[in-house]
Amino acid sequence: MDVVTEAEAKEASRRRIGGIEVLAVITVALVLLQPYLVGRLSNPALQAGATVFVSIVIQALPFLVLGVVLSAAIAAFVPATFWEKALPKRPGLAVPVAGCAGAVLPGCECASVPVSGSLMSRGVAPAAALAFLLSAPAINPIVVVSTVVAFPGEPMMAVARFCASLVTAVVVGWLWLKWGRGQWLRVPKSRHVEGQAPWQTFAAAATHDLLHAGGFLVVGGLAAAILNVAVPQEWLQTLADHPALAIIGLALLAVLLSICSEADAFVAASLTQFSLTARLAFLVVGPMVDLKLISLQAGTFGKSFMYRFAPTTFVVAVMMATLFGWWLL
Amino acid sequence: MRRDVQAAVLLLLGSLLLRLTLGGSYVYFVKVSMKPILLVTAAVLIALAGWNLWQAWRNSESHDDGHGHGAVPRVAWLLVLPVLVVFLVSPRPLGAYTAARQLATAPVVAEPAELLPLPAGDPVDVPIADYITRAIWGQGQTLEDRSIRLTGLVTPDPDGGWWVTRLGLACCAADALSFRARVLDAEPLPANTWVEVTGRWVPGDSGNAAIPLIEADDVSRIPEPSNPYE
Repeated sequence: MDVVTEAEAKEASRRRIGGIEVLAVITVALVLLQPYLVGRLSNPALQAGATVFVSIVIQALPFLVLGVVLSAAIAAFVPATFWEKALPKRPGLAVPVAGCAGAVLPGCECASVPVSGSLMSRGVAPAAALAFLLSAPAINPIVVVSTVVAFPGEPMMAVARFCASLVTAVVVGWLWLKWGRGQWLRVPKSRHVEGQAPWQTFAAAATHDLLHAGGFLVVGGLAAAILNVAVPQEWLQTLADHPALAIIGLALLAVLLSICSEADAFVAASLTQFSLTARLAFLVVGPMVDLKLISLQAGTFGKSFMYRFAPTTFVVAVMMATLFGWWLL
Repeated sequence: MRRDVQAAVLLLLGSLLLRLTLGGSYVYFVKVSMKPILLVTAAVLIALAGWNLWQAWRNSESHDDGHGHGAVPRVAWLLVLPVLVVFLVSPRPLGAYTAARQLATAPVVAEPAELLPLPAGDPVDVPIADYITRAIWGQGQTLEDRSIRLTGLVTPDPDGGWWVTRLGLACCAADALSFRARVLDAEPLPANTWVEVTGRWVPGDSGNAAIPLIEADDVSRIPEPSNPYE
């Protein structure tokens, strides 16, 4: 049927006033308003917040691009049968293997979200992909080395961080295996189209994931920047004086600040008023649960997943950090 | 989001990275060593934008609305926000505002294995973080009887006086730490003034929570250095 009703034609023409036109208006507004606005937006808190926001986005983008390119490459070039051979058949065994495999992805948490989504869409058991998602940003060589460098007098800090992070990832993976329900998790769709050249699949998947995850990265970066200029230092001092509150407090601070896992060791080292165990909690929680990750995970795997996954991970991570801190530090 | 719009958003983001990197202001946000990585990222973004533009053009020629690669959600529009912020707020490097929010005591990370003697020079330029380490862990032994020059910005103390301050990045501006030394015998200056303080180390309270001091012989204003962080 080629008959187009008047309403449909109207709808179509209305829809055409879309993206490009909006971008054009934004560009014109930018050019006209810039000199007027720049002077008015010179409040020091706003300036500092803007610098932190832009720096989080700029610092995370290369890692997000790495993760997206890697996950697009997995989707386009690695046959689905590869993962059946590489990982143990029993999911209970695949979880720790995938957790340990996290040690080879040299990136931060932004890279691991798209990669684990892509692993799921290629048939890897969700529990195993989630163990990888949690362990990769915390136990890879770059993070371990930066932790050693940041705590020169405390060699056990890096060991405790590695162990507590890996155990948390595996425990959360097993919890998901035992109690997780399929309908909570929206497995990202495979973008593989039959008869399409692999590089076409690659570019399409990379574009989609980058725009999608990038938008959520901006949400998380914005929230972290606002909190970065809004959390008063006096609160920290009050928390540091109570051993239990210090652990919970620094774990929450790690969630709010959303610092890249390759840099958080230096920030933890500077929080000298806190106990080593509290700082370990900061280092274990940060790469697994933070505002920009929560936003990225909600975008990739759905909100009903995020509501369950992030709090569970937080609780397990705090418990493991306390345990390993008490044992090793 | 239509394919040409996706291309435009990617192109905007790639151009922003390119502009910040080539224009030099990327050092306000991340470490200098990120430059090659940012350029590669910008190249990937622009290449993807080009591919999408070409696809959009080819598909409009053949009246084929594509293979339906899943709609890109509206949240992708937020990627325009960093571009807007850079152009409208034109963020400056972090300075006295951020430093004043951190504790005045030195963020000494850990005790160094060994403090080497200061290099030759009269006065000798010392990074503020290094000055703090030498003053606090070395009890000032490597600083005694030397004329020292610290370069940083002014963070005023609400109770009078000021610190010469430099912020240090571990990774990006979100994790900036403030390194500061209290300047004695100096005229008050407005916040965020860049100065070179030439002077001598004087002992203060010892211990981890101490505030390092410098007795100023000369304070001169300087333009903002190309890398505002240490």
